[in-house]
Order: sequence, then C-alpha cells, then structure tokens
Amino acid sequence: MTRIRDLSTFNAVRTTGLGKLRPHHVRIAVGMGTCGTGNGAEAVYSAFADAIFQRGLDATLVSTGCFGFCAEEPLVNLYSPGQPLVILHRVRSEQVNQILDGLLEKNIPEALALCKIEQWDHITAQIDYGAGYPMVPLWNEVPFFQNQKKIVLRNCGIINPDDIEEYIAVGGYQSLYKVLIDRMPELVLEQLKASKLRGRGGAGFSTGMKLEFLFKSNAAQKYLICNADEGDPGAYMNRNEIEGDPHSLLEGMAIGGYITGATKGIIYVRAEYPLAVNRLNKAIAQAREYGLLGQDILGRGFDFDIELVEGAGAFVCGEETALIASLEGRAGRPRPRPPFPAEKGLWGCPTDINNVETWYNLAPIVARGPAWFTETGSTTSAGTKVISLVGKVRNTGLVEMPLGTPLSQYVYDAGGGAADGHSIKAVQTGGPSGGCIPHDLFDTPVDYESLAKLGSIMGSGGMVVMDDDNCMVDVARYFVEFTRSESCGKCTPCRVGLDKALRTLTRITKGEGREEDLVELEELGRMIRDTSLCGLGQSAPNPVLTALRHFRHEFEDHIRAKRCHAGVCLELALSPCENSCPLHMNIPRFLQLYKEGRLADAFESVIMDNPLPASTGRVCQHPCDNRCRRQGIDESVNMREVHRVIADAVLLSDQFEEAVGRVLAKKRKATGKKVAVVGAGPTGLTAAFYLALLGHEVMVFEAHADAGGMLRYALPEYRLPNSVLDREIEIIRRLGVKFTFNTAIGEDITLNDLGSQYNAVFLSIGTWKESQLYLPGNELAGVFVALPFLEAEAKAEPMQLGNHVVVIGGGNAAIDCARTVVRRGSAATVIYRRDRGDMPAIPEEVDAAEKEGVRFRFLATPHRIIGERGGVKAIEVTKTRLGEFDTSGRRRPVATGEVQVVSCTNVILAVGEDVDRDFYRSAGLTITESGMLQVDRYSLESSRENFYAGGDLITGASNVSNAMSYGKDAARNIDARLTGDSHFDGLIPTFQYDQTAPAEPSKSPRHHAHDLPVAIRAKSFEEATTALKPEEAFEEACRCLRCDIRDSAHFAVSHR
Amino acid sequence: MSEQITMRIDGQVCTAKEGQTIIEVAQANGRYIPSLCHMPGLSADGCCRLCLVEVTGLNRLLPACTTPVRNGMSVVTDSERLNQNRLMALELLFSERNHICAVCVSNGHCELQGLAQQLGLTHIHFTYNYPKLPVDVSHPRFVLDHNRCILCARCVRVCDEVEGAHVWDIAGRGINSMLVSDLQRPWGESQSCTSCGKCVQVCPTGALVEKGHAVEEMTKRNAVVTQLAIKRGTHP
Repeated sequence: MTRIRDLSTFNAVRTTGLGKLRPHHVRIAVGMGTCGTGNGAEAVYSAFADAIFQRGLDATLVSTGCFGFCAEEPLVNLYSPGQPLVILHRVRSEQVNQILDGLLEKNIPEALALCKIEQWDHITAQIDYGAGYPMVPLWNEVPFFQNQKKIVLRNCGIINPDDIEEYIAVGGYQSLYKVLIDRMPELVLEQLKASKLRGRGGAGFSTGMKLEFLFKSNAAQKYLICNADEGDPGAYMNRNEIEGDPHSLLEGMAIGGYITGATKGIIYVRAEYPLAVNRLNKAIAQAREYGLLGQDILGRGFDFDIELVEGAGAFVCGEETALIASLEGRAGRPRPRPPFPAEKGLWGCPTDINNVETWYNLAPIVARGPAWFTETGSTTSAGTKVISLVGKVRNTGLVEMPLGTPLSQYVYDAGGGAADGHSIKAVQTGGPSGGCIPHDLFDTPVDYESLAKLGSIMGSGGMVVMDDDNCMVDVARYFVEFTRSESCGKCTPCRVGLDKALRTLTRITKGEGREEDLVELEELGRMIRDTSLCGLGQSAPNPVLTALRHFRHEFEDHIRAKRCHAGVCLELALSPCENSCPLHMNIPRFLQLYKEGRLADAFESVIMDNPLPASTGRVCQHPCDNRCRRQGIDESVNMREVHRVIADAVLLSDQFEEAVGRVLAKKRKATGKKVAVVGAGPTGLTAAFYLALLGHEVMVFEAHADAGGMLRYALPEYRLPNSVLDREIEIIRRLGVKFTFNTAIGEDITLNDLGSQYNAVFLSIGTWKESQLYLPGNELAGVFVALPFLEAEAKAEPMQLGNHVVVIGGGNAAIDCARTVVRRGSAATVIYRRDRGDMPAIPEEVDAAEKEGVRFRFLATPHRIIGERGGVKAIEVTKTRLGEFDTSGRRRPVATGEVQVVSCTNVILAVGEDVDRDFYRSAGLTITESGMLQVDRYSLESSRENFYAGGDLITGASNVSNAMSYGKDAARNIDARLTGDSHFDGLIPTFQYDQTAPAEPSKSPRHHAHDLPVAIRAKSFEEATTALKPEEAFEEACRCLRCDIRDSAHFAVSHR
Repeated sequence: MSEQITMRIDGQVCTAKEGQTIIEVAQANGRYIPSLCHMPGLSADGCCRLCLVEVTGLNRLLPACTTPVRNGMSVVTDSERLNQNRLMALELLFSERNHICAVCVSNGHCELQGLAQQLGLTHIHFTYNYPKLPVDVSHPRFVLDHNRCILCARCVRVCDEVEGAHVWDIAGRGINSMLVSDLQRPWGESQSCTSCGKCVQVCPTGALVEKGHAVEEMTKRNAVVTQLAIKRGTHP
C-alpha cells in the first residue's frame, strides 16, 4: 500500500476498508480482547476458522476488541449483507456449527443473540447495517447498554483493531486530516477548551488549557506522553480501549502534536498488557506505512512520530513526574512540582502528559465540534467516562455513560444489582486512591466534583461494587496494603505513615483494635493526605478516611464487639456459620459431638448457646445456610435441622431430667441482685435463662397468660407445637426464673415501680402494635390484622372466616395466616406488592404454602376493600411494576394504574408490626428517628440508667434468633454491670472432641426435613414438617467441612 | 537578570530574587523553617516534608525547599496545623527505625534529635517498628548504620552533585527503601567511593559517621560542604 498523500488516496483506502467492514458475504468477528480470550474466545475463533475452511464458506473471520459486556464474553458479531449486525454472547466452540447452519438460512440462534445493531454511530462516521431480526433486541434495549453513550468506545468491538483500513473506513484519521488542512492550531485549541474536555486520568484538569501551555512554549523540542500505565486494582478500561481501537490513540496524539508543535509522542504502557502492546506496535507500524505517522504526514509537511515504552510495573509511575523519571531511565520516583512538566518535563523539555482516554476524545471533538461534545455530560464535566464496573454485581464490564450519571444507574441499571440473597453496601470509585461511597448516597452523580465532595475521586474510572460479604475494615486494609507496597518511599508521610496505618488496620481486623485507634487513623490519614509529595500519598488515605466516615460502625464492631459481620476477618470468627448466627452458636462443635454419638454433650453445647433450641430448630431464618462453605461442593449443611434433632431427642424424651441437671449444675451462686425482665417472648426468655444461670433473681412480667410471646401466640401450632415450647420454658423455670402473667407494663405496673424494686430492668416487649395500613374499608367486619388473628387461633378462639380470605403482605406472618386459613378450610390468596424473590418470608415456608393450595398474586398493591352489608365483598388491587432500586436493594413497586378486583370474604392485613412509641415516650425513654427505642449499640442500655432493652423493640420486627441474641447480650452486660465482673464466658461449656477436618469431603446431598403429605397437612394443625431421622441427622453432621479447624501455626485462636 | 520581588513571611516583608525558594528567602531574613533533607549547596529533594508552609490563598501546603517565591506571596511558617504535621512526621521518623539516642555517637549533635527538642516532641504515639537492620562497617574510616538513617538523601545528593562520585542511591521502595553504595556492595568494596567523607559530614543523624567515636562524640561540619559547593558553582 502506498502512503496516503491526498484526498483521493485517502478515499480509496476508506472504500477498501468499508468493503472489509461490510463485505458482500458473511463476516464473523470474535471479541478477542483480554477479557474475551480469558473466557475462551481463542477456541471459538479457531472453531470458526476450521468450520469455515471445512465448509469452504465465503466468509471473513476477524478478531475485534471487547464490546464492553465482559461478563457475557466471548462475544461474537455476525454480519450478513443487508442484515443488522448481531452480537452473540457466551459463545462456546461447540456451538459454532449450529451458528453457521443458522446463518446460511438467515436464522439467528435466538438463545445466543444478545442484541443487534441496525445503525452504528462511530461519531466520525455512521454505518448502516439494515433492519431485521425482530425477535432480537436492539443493543441499547439491553439493560447493560441502555444508558450508555459510546464516544470513547465508539469503535471497540466492531472494527478489527489490527487493520488500519477498517479504522479509516469508520472516519478514522479524518480529524487529523482536517486539522492538517485547516492549519489553524489555535482554533483547535479554542475548540478543545470550549468542549470542556477534562483529563480522564482523574485529576480533571482542562485538556485544552494543558495543551495550550505546551503550544505557547518556545522550546525547540516538546514531547507528548500518553499515560497508559493503568494500575488500579479492578480498573482495565485503558487496556480495552487500546486493545479494541489503538488507532484512535495514535490519531488523538498526532492531532495533539500538530496543535502544540510537539514532534515526538511517547506511549508509556504497562508491560503487563501484552495484547495492548502488541496491537499498539502493529498500529504504529501500519500508521507509518500509510503515511499517518513519521515524516510529512498526509503530505502536509507535518512530522510526528510515536514511540512505545513499556513500564516496569510500578504503580507510582502513573504519577507524571515519576513516569518521566522512569522514561529517563531513573528509578520511578516523583519529584516536587513546580517545575511542572509543561515547563520542564522529559529530558528537561516541555512535556504534556495525558491519560489514554483523554486522547481518545480528541478526534470526535475535532470531527463534531465542541457544541456537540458539551451536549453530553454535566455542566462542569462534559462528555462521557468509561467506567470498569466490577465486583459484586451481576453484569460486569466497561460502561461508558455521560458524566453526571447517578451511581445507582451504574450499579443497578447497567450492573443489574446484587447477586441473589445479597445486598449492595458500597461502591469504591477511583481504586486505591478513591473512597467508598455507601449505598444511601447512590444518587450521587459521577463527576469530578461530586465524588470529591464525598472524599472519593473519579480516578481513572474503576468502580468496585461491594456487598454484605465485604468487610469495610478489610477493604480499607487491603487498599492501604496496596499503596504501602507501591509507595516509592521517598517522602516520610507516605513511606512511614502508610506503614503505620496498615499496622493499625491489621490489628483491628485481628480483633486487637483499641478505642483510640480510630481517631489516630483519622489524624494520620489527614496528615498523609496533606503532606505527601505526590498524588499517590495524597490520595492513599482516601479509602480509610471514607470508610471511617461512612462505615464507622463496622470499625467499632471490630474493636468493641470483636465482630466482623461480613465474616471476612478470620480471627474474629470461629467459622462462617458461627459468624452468621445471631446467637453465635458453636455449630461445628454440636455437629461434631452429635457425629461422635455424644447426644447429651451435643445438647449441652446447643442449649448453652441457645436456650430455645427446639423452637429455633423449627422456625429460625437460618442465615447459616447462606454462608456455609459446603455450598462450594454441593449444598449447605442443614444445621438448623440437626440442632432440632438434638433438642427434640433430649427435650421430648426421658433424657430431659439428666439434661436439666447438667444445666442447673452450671448455675452460679446467688448474687442477691434482682432483675426484672419485661416480656416473656424469645428475647426475654433468653435473657432470663442466662441471668438466672449467672445467679441473679429474675422476675419476668408478661401481659399474656403464658410465656413464649410470638412463639406461642403468633406462630401456628403446625409450625411450632406448644408442647415443644413448654419443655424449653420448663428448664427456664427450673433455673429459678419467676413469672408474673397477665400484667401489662404501663397498665398494671409502671416502669418507675420496676426501677425502684429491681437492680436492673430488661425491656423486651417486642412489636405487638400493628403497623397501620390506611385502606378504605379497613373498618368492615371480616377485616382482620395478622397478629390478633394468629393469637385468637393460638388461644383456640378462632375468628369467623368465609370461603375466600385475602392476606396482604409478604412476611412470615402473612404466610402463617394464609396456611392457617387453608387449615380452617377456606381458600387463601396472598397479595404482595413486590415480586416473589423479594419476600421477607422464609422461602421454604412460601413453597410449603403454595403446595398446600395458597394462591399468590405478586406485584399488586391493595387499593380499597369493597364492602357489602357491613361485610367484605371484594378487594380492589392496583397492579404494580418494578421500578428503581430502593435503599433495601430491591426494586421499588410502582403502581401502573391497572385496577383488578378480587372477590373475597375476608381480608387479613399482615403488613408488619411496630413499637408502641407513645408508651415509651411517656415513660421518659428516648425514641430514635426511625421510631425504635434508643439504646447503646453495644451495652444495650437505654437512655435511662439500668434500663436495658433488646429484641424487636430496638430493631423493629425481625426474627426469632435475631431477637434472642439481644437477650443473650443484655444478660452479659447486665451481669457485668451488677457484679462489676465478667462471668458470662464461664457459662459456656468446653468439650474435648475430634479436631481433624475431613480430608476428602464425602459426596452426599443435603437432607431436607420431611413435610407431611399436602393432603394431610393442609387439613390439620398437626406439625407440618417432621424432623430428620437420626441417621439422616448423622449424615448431615458428617457433611460439615469443619471450618472451625485452622492451621494452629497460623491461627492462634482463643474463642468465646 | 533576575528581578527583585517583595513578599511576606509570617507578616514580615522580605525582598527576594526571582528563582529563590521560600526556605532560602526565609533563611536570608532570619526566619527559621524546620527541615531535615534540605541543605544549602545541594539540590532540593522535598522528601522529609517538615518544611511545609502555608501560602495565603492556597489550601494546599507547599514545601518551602522547592517552592519558588512569587511577588506578593504571603507565607506562614508556623501554625497549629503545621506544627501538628511536623510533630507527626517526626514521630513517624523516630518510630520507623531504631533511634536510640542514649547509645548513639551523634547524641547531642543530631538534627533529628534537635528538631524533636525544638518542636517539643515528648511522646511517640505510634508503635515502634524495631526493624532488624545491618550496620555496614566495611569501610576503613566510616560506618553506615541503617538503624539511624532517615532516608533524607543528603548523602546521595552531595556525593553526586559535589563530589561527582554518585556512590550512594536508594534501593527498594516504600518502607523497605534502603541506602545502598554502588550496586548494593558493601561500602568498603565500593569502586566509586573516593573516601572524601562529604556524605558523613552532611548526614543529619548518626547514620553515616566516622569510626573511632564513642557516644556523643560525633560532630558534623556540613557548613564546609555548603561553602565548597558554592565555591565550585555546583550550588543549584
């Protein structure tokens, strides 16, 4: 090919290129960026090559860069003349033949088709492909691409990066040509300034102004440098840009060279990006060959050449003065500015350094003008930014959206939100120099100023999404570990300060944190930020400072409670299951004891961790299931059912007395202190159990006629038989706990009375006040509220039901009501405003209800209840659709206006329970903004001295084990307060048992509890789910991987 | 010719020549700015971060040793914020390696120690690192004790810029940075060292010392090096 010297040769190349991009036959382009090849694109490519050869097909096969949707790689573009370009996703080599078969018949394998492109805006040119394939969505109808605007990534994934003619075909080098013909560098500089293009490396300085500095310099030699030393963990947009479209970079730099008078450009690229290096080398060679680099470019008398330098992998070389030092062959250490590189840069000459992405924006601005560019983005930050979206989202990949787009659009719309069963907690922007932005600030627009206000930075565009499995202390520690090891060591604050910060953070993650650590970390962080020499040190404390600002409670949990709720900090947890259990039961221990056939020991282990083991064995929300590492092999161990088996085997048998004896033997000698527990629900019973064991005199006040609270009055007999609960309460009685029933606090006895008669008071009356749902027709006879309905059922005074009952709500109470209704012989329909997966109810319960004949109507919200002669005739519901994500990480239901009428005879409102606020306010206790009783997070003491509170009262309606955990913590704290000493840990028994982890985990599936046949259980209040058989429970115990056993050389754990 | 400019340091009006740095103007006008890496006669490195000053109108702190003065500039060299940062930087230096004054040959003549006394540093809040570091006694006349080194790089610069030998450099990075002679050879085996001793004279602590001195006996004469640098015209 000859050099391009004039318009006619330029156009000739363009026509050839277009012929390659839109040939007269089929063209198959396999996405072979690093992300594609990592997912097997090479095998797909060679499978296509073989198949095309074998069939003798008239087809072109090329490789392209990444189209951005890295999670769906390998991506393959299919082009056939006159048809839209179809993008296939997750293509495997064995599907190649099927694809080719279909293609010949103009059939697209629908399951593989991700989207189609009918027309593509390359910014510098438009390419029309044609319409067709109605069943395949357009590319911007796919949620991941919906809000994207591809300016920087305009060519990525579409053109062949190794072919300069394809780049020229889509308008490449036209902007350079225009600039060279116009011969007005000042005008281009003005355009760049007017476009408000800002440096995409993170600092956000005006690119136009920066280039103007260089233009104004009179030096004989000037340099342009492209900083492609991308090194943030989790950021790879520059890599993909270069891999997908290297010529855009060359063109941008050549334009920059012409308008500043620089004749030499240097691309400093990470050596760890071999594919990018390779493609750049090819591109530079091609550009020289075509007369687009080197001497007399495009025949216009302009000389400019580009050299590629591979960086040696130091993160600090992303800092411009360190980068220059590295280019000059010195150690990559920054030097103080001034002088700025624009005055004294490489080899002492004026130098302009820009990020890869900044250069990519030059050609489009020249082609379309600054007014077009400022249409996109926010007022201060024009254009788009490519973000690499990684971490705990469903869709990972490169997202290019206008600057100023809210974070939530990245995380939820493009990212698709969290994986099942998880919720997103924060986003880390800007890598190790950036900060964490918490979930409730996700409406923050992504631009330079807004992120800086939150203590984070835009950086080069990394966005790491974190969910509830991420510990923010550990995240902060990780980033400081990174910057500490990447610090060049030149200046004191960065070299020594980061080392100190890492030591402190490591100590905190090991549970050895001190109260003063947090303030010290903040002071140190500020000092490092304010006094470090270069950007690395100045920004390195950001992850710590923002984590401390937005997630301080997590640091405090590590320091005060020695807990890491995410389960990341190994030293603070026995095992993932123990860590996730609100009661922190030693689960591996009771499994092992049961496995060893030591039932009595296993029971003692269970009950000393959890005073209501048989009840929780039936109704616990079992968070342990979600954390079990066995999931990596098959399914989690059914821990809840094993402790039910252990509890039942002792509580409901002749071993009961012996077990009671063992518990009573643990009781400490009387302290003479009196404690009142208000509320005999699970929280109160738990507190009473431990307080009595600790030697205190305990009196429990209860408004109902019997103990058990929600367990007795809200949980139907078929889920938890009273006979089981009675045995557990029996043990608590035998410990010496006294009960005063039918005594409501505030009515029969006042808090002041209690305060004067007892040394400490523990309030655990839960949430018995129903949340109000203002619904026209509420007052009709036949409309019930869930709790009174269930309570009446429990007291055997059932309410009158007609033949069809509608239950409103999606929690456990709603399901309990519906299943009770079915047992009473009526039909039940549950109406829930969100979708099934968003229900707070235990999934097993929902499934069981459905099998028993309960019908579900999701995405519907009640509108009004229609009455007839004082009774209920029907309920009107409005259909909803799922809208934006709300702060709970679920999609908010939005009313559609479509109204449906469901005829029914009764309505049960199960929309949640609430705290009786008025009573507490009148008793002089402080209520939080969210309407809960205010207590100290760790001591559980309320605003009134010696008055403690726990359970649903302070958290809002929750679940049994969660509520019980407060009883346990309160007992520990009250005892410490009353005796001035800590005895609680002494109650927890120790056992000698096998401490070897299974070398080869047995392959065995999870055993599930046995449901009674639907036909029987739907008609009876008999317990619906029967326990595992002993041999099944034994096998379940054997499935445990024993995560509690650690290599003792590495983990010296003394555990509670 | 460089122009005469007027500026203020801590309120005091000072005249200076364009191209001078803040610390040079301050010294010429009798204002003291704490520093450990700066030394007249050597190029500025800006690494110890003790000489940071406030410049009115700027939120950022600027190093006095590398920032050129400008006409009308108003500099604050002493404030609560600066003092806090300086104290913390000293604490970091003290706890980084093993600075045990009582057994140090430079005790009483140490710039690090002197600065701590002057700024009123009484406690180190950070946990000491206590690294195990070697002492290089291979040179016949001098000793390099890494335990006392604060990586100010004065020795590196004096050897390169005044003596022209460039024996010293800093290897490694971050907290693992270490002063090395030649390509990590023992000092005594160095091919390039002329044994001139300038590095010893400019070292602010007891890291580079002459052999044959007991505790408190090592005094340094860095002013000689400055004069030499000025005489030879190597002064930047």
